[in-house]
Amino acid sequence: MSEGIRVADVDEIDEGEALTVDAETAGTADDIAVFHSDNGRFYALNDTCTHEDASLADGWIEGDEVECPVHSARFCLRTGEALCLPALTNTKAHRVDVRDGAVWLYPNVSPLDA
Amino acid sequence: MAAAPASIAVVGGGIAGFSAVRELRRQGYTGTLSLVDPVGLPYDRPPLSKAFLAGTLDRLRLQLAPAQWYEDNDTSVIADTVDKLEPGDGATPPVLVLDSGRELAADVVLLATGARARRLPLPGMDLPGVLTLRSADDAQALQAHLVPGAHLVILGAGLVGAEVAGTARTLGAAVTLVDPAELPSAKVVGPEMAGYLQGLHAGHGTAHIRDTAAAITAEGQSLGVELAAGGRLSATAVLVAAGSEPETALAEAAGLSVDGGVLVDGAGRTSHPRIFAAGDSSRRLGPGGVPGRRFEHWDAARRTGEAAAAGMLGIDPPAGAADWFWSDRYGVHLEVAGSMVVPGQTVLRGEPGPGFTAFRLGLDGRLAGVAAVDGGTAVRAARKLIESGRVLDPALLQDPAVDVRRLARGKA
Repeated sequence: MSEGIRVADVDEIDEGEALTVDAETAGTADDIAVFHSDNGRFYALNDTCTHEDASLADGWIEGDEVECPVHSARFCLRTGEALCLPALTNTKAHRVDVRDGAVWLYPNVSPLDA
Repeated sequence: MAAAPASIAVVGGGIAGFSAVRELRRQGYTGTLSLVDPVGLPYDRPPLSKAFLAGTLDRLRLQLAPAQWYEDNDTSVIADTVDKLEPGDGATPPVLVLDSGRELAADVVLLATGARARRLPLPGMDLPGVLTLRSADDAQALQAHLVPGAHLVILGAGLVGAEVAGTARTLGAAVTLVDPAELPSAKVVGPEMAGYLQGLHAGHGTAHIRDTAAAITAEGQSLGVELAAGGRLSATAVLVAAGSEPETALAEAAGLSVDGGVLVDGAGRTSHPRIFAAGDSSRRLGPGGVPGRRFEHWDAARRTGEAAAAGMLGIDPPAGAADWFWSDRYGVHLEVAGSMVVPGQTVLRGEPGPGFTAFRLGLDGRLAGVAAVDGGTAVRAARKLIESGRVLDPALLQDPAVDVRRLARGKA
């Protein structure tokens, strides 16, 4: 497993909000959005809608889905699956852990491998 | 139908038809799936009045999915026209008779035949240079007229007319909108937002004449537009942007219930047990069997396509949502959800410009509609508020310091 990145304290990201970890910090090709959903869980996806270049961190976060703010494409926060048009292509999901009151991101590690 | 049908044929490759195909496969449907459309691979229509018309998006990128996607999803795309739908008696599969002579039988048929541009009952509608905009071919024909020195007269200042006006101006053509309304689209976006949008036209040099056309005439290489009030405009091209009419001929000939659209329930079921319908050509029956509005927006087509996919699989369709659409013109992104004309009051947030938002509160204090320019996720949050039916304090809606997203989550 790649080394985790301490993203923030849990209480620094309100439920329904997200923050972006830039690609350089994450050591990835794309920025990564870390979401705190209203179900209390944290998730991470590449921060670009696969339909157009909109930031998913600015989207509507609810349950285990995020809806793009521009054309309402929805993605599964657990898997990155594109759930409806206009997005046709899945995005990449990354593992997030909450440990000692902090949110840890594991870029390029599948959340399903946890 | 308890079990999933062995085969499904979708007629029409617009958003509704493609959404249905996509959702069927996404839900794990493994039966035979065909999609019939005269142009073949489905493509997206919103860019036809914007990026595609402006020439910044090519035809390949207009496609909703690359050819490989259909192979990967085991979907046959048949480039053909359906001449006839033989519905059968309900016990036998319906049959599609194609223009090529081929007959395609399927256990279930989805009609997603869309709509056509409405023509006006005017002399001169068939003259060269009098155009409508519905297909990619239409857009390319129109594009040829949008050059510096051209003068495009647009009959109708609704969404299509307004978007084309914006694109035409960026391409250097002069534009005159002819619309009888003092504030076009006011019934859709509310008068305050309509006033702002009207100002955008003026600010970008697009003229608006409050009138209707009485006739179009040939004037050598140009066209003349005679106005009902007596004036006359000279144009190099005329775009008729007067709304759409549902394509229901197949359904009517097959004996389905049609009333300004193929009548369907929330899962796309028509009056025939093996035939479903979705998208612009359909009209949902409301409570008591009363036909509701026929929506023509992209999002409605997607939702009804997905609902029909669920219906064909015998599973519950996704929950309904507030009607929502977007529009882009002059670099401004407009979003509207719900209804802006229910009895009640309008609450404005911000100043006309980016972030300007109009909320429509019903008499009961619940949010009925929202219209915003460059409003980001606030409109999505407002849609949530509309769907929640919560009674809202107008002061909170009015205050730009109150985050609508937090309001929608009950935190403000």
